[in-house]
Amino acid sequence: MSITMRTTKKHKRRSDWLVALIFLSPLLVIYAVYYLYSIVFLGQTSVQRIGISLLRPVQVGFDNFALLFTDPVFGRAILNNLMYAGISISVALTVGFFIAVTLSTGVRARKLFYLVFLLPALMPLSLVATIFGSMLQERFGVLNETLRAVGLGSLAQSWLTTPGLAFAAVALIFCYLIGLPIMYYTADLSALPTSSLEAALLDGAGTFRIMREIIYPMMKSTHITVVLALLLGSFRALEQVLFSTDGGPGSTTEIVGTYLYSYTNSGGKTIGFAAAASTIVLVIALVISLVQLYFTRSRKDEQ
Amino acid sequence: MTTTNILPPTTPLLPSARGPRPRRRRLGKSPVDDNPMRMIITTGADRWIIYGLLIVMGLVFAFPLYAMVAKSFQGFGINNYISLVTDPVGEVPIVLTYVNSFVIGLIHAAFVVAISTTAGYALSKLQFRGRELAFAGIILFLAVPGTALLVPVFHITNQLDLFNNYLGVALPEAALTIPFGVLLLRNFGRNVPDSLIEAAKLDGASHFSVFWHIFLPLARPAVVNLIVLCMIWSLQDFLWPSMLFTNPDVTTAAQAVSSFSNQLGRSPEDFGRYNASLVLLAVPAVLFVVFGLRFIVNGLTSGSTKD
Repeated sequence: MSITMRTTKKHKRRSDWLVALIFLSPLLVIYAVYYLYSIVFLGQTSVQRIGISLLRPVQVGFDNFALLFTDPVFGRAILNNLMYAGISISVALTVGFFIAVTLSTGVRARKLFYLVFLLPALMPLSLVATIFGSMLQERFGVLNETLRAVGLGSLAQSWLTTPGLAFAAVALIFCYLIGLPIMYYTADLSALPTSSLEAALLDGAGTFRIMREIIYPMMKSTHITVVLALLLGSFRALEQVLFSTDGGPGSTTEIVGTYLYSYTNSGGKTIGFAAAASTIVLVIALVISLVQLYFTRSRKDEQ
Repeated sequence: MTTTNILPPTTPLLPSARGPRPRRRRLGKSPVDDNPMRMIITTGADRWIIYGLLIVMGLVFAFPLYAMVAKSFQGFGINNYISLVTDPVGEVPIVLTYVNSFVIGLIHAAFVVAISTTAGYALSKLQFRGRELAFAGIILFLAVPGTALLVPVFHITNQLDLFNNYLGVALPEAALTIPFGVLLLRNFGRNVPDSLIEAAKLDGASHFSVFWHIFLPLARPAVVNLIVLCMIWSLQDFLWPSMLFTNPDVTTAAQAVSSFSNQLGRSPEDFGRYNASLVLLAVPAVLFVVFGLRFIVNGLTSGSTKD
């Protein structure tokens, strides 16, 4: 402490790097263990053939990466990730935006509506996905039972085991979790400059035209936030698929999360391969983060 | 932390303070003055369309939950629930899985708060070269997927001998939440006027006492939001417990879902009880969200504030 005091007194333009180091040291310890060490360990393990016990590694060079890039399931998983992200982004930018705007206009029972729309995103995702799985269950799931009860039994399907339907079912779960974008829109709407709204009203624009042509373009920065958050979120996703279709049938609903999870848990000598896949996914996530940093930066400069 | 991804919007969620003060004298207060967004609904017909759409979407969103509750009474009615309480299906009672999630959440929150407040102070109130670069380097890990760290964390947990230990799960959870916590507290710190810090320094206070006596008390709302978020993320987390816990005594609520679906979800005669077990698992989560919604929304949306 005394050191800081002395430097402060000596020169006005002080540098607190020593104090800063002390304040940052708890963070540095955690980062060193869980990020730095992890990345080094991943790099090491990704060129080995090894089991989860991590005993007797065999150096295999870049074989794991070669295997990975020739595995059609890995490509499929990344593609699925992007598609699920794309679907949830398009729903968030339309339905999510609409919900946020209408709930901001002071409708009745606002709190109840917020609860209904935000709750799914805040419950354990394993539970949400399981509830969906149970609802879509072929023989005694509520959806098929309801269809049969109203005489539409012919429409009853094996929702989770027919490729196209299973894909749609998982996409539905992703869309069910749009609580976060709604929160972002709600927050930014509360600070919307009202002058342009007033001008539009004077011009006689209708409710939905104001939403579409005035408010929507004004929220560009929020749209970017939503797009990036959902894109990154899709690479973090696991339970949405693990607890509904578990990647099946075949690999139609496989995502990066379930791919990594299953190779880490497989019990064979697949850990080196899982590490290689993890390395690639990590690189993708860091690159998207860099893009996000770039966008938030340029946004700050504009202000 | 697990699947929810957090990028800050540009503004905090605050009740709109813009526009003229509400006039209270005649005919009550005008709603338009209160909330400028109210203006955009121009005709009564639009209002009904909006209500109609909201109600339809609300019903769609509520349907899976309704389906679960309806199913939970199938077969033996309320006995589905009674039998779950008297004769727990997983190796641990549901209440205990919540206690486990809760304890992990507290440890998770303690680490995140301690580390994010100190780092947030350093990155907003201390002058040193490379500060912005350090901040960017920390924030870069905001979106690291937990699944990509499975292999190394398994190894680290083994080295630290933390399997089946609350700490073993709370630490990687904290590591994944800290970038967000730093973002929150650093942006908060930038809104604390420098003059406050300078004044205290002139009185001879060290940075440590400024941090403890000025910064931390001011940061209380942000810290409360952060704690609630940590609790909810621990409650949601399935990944780390499923990898690092094998002892049924430490099973968390999110993990219990998988043991229920393995033991009850397969056979038709258990399907009612299975859904009843899901309802019992959902109830505490719903209560937590109902009472914590304000903190959750404030925390998630005030990650970044306008300068």
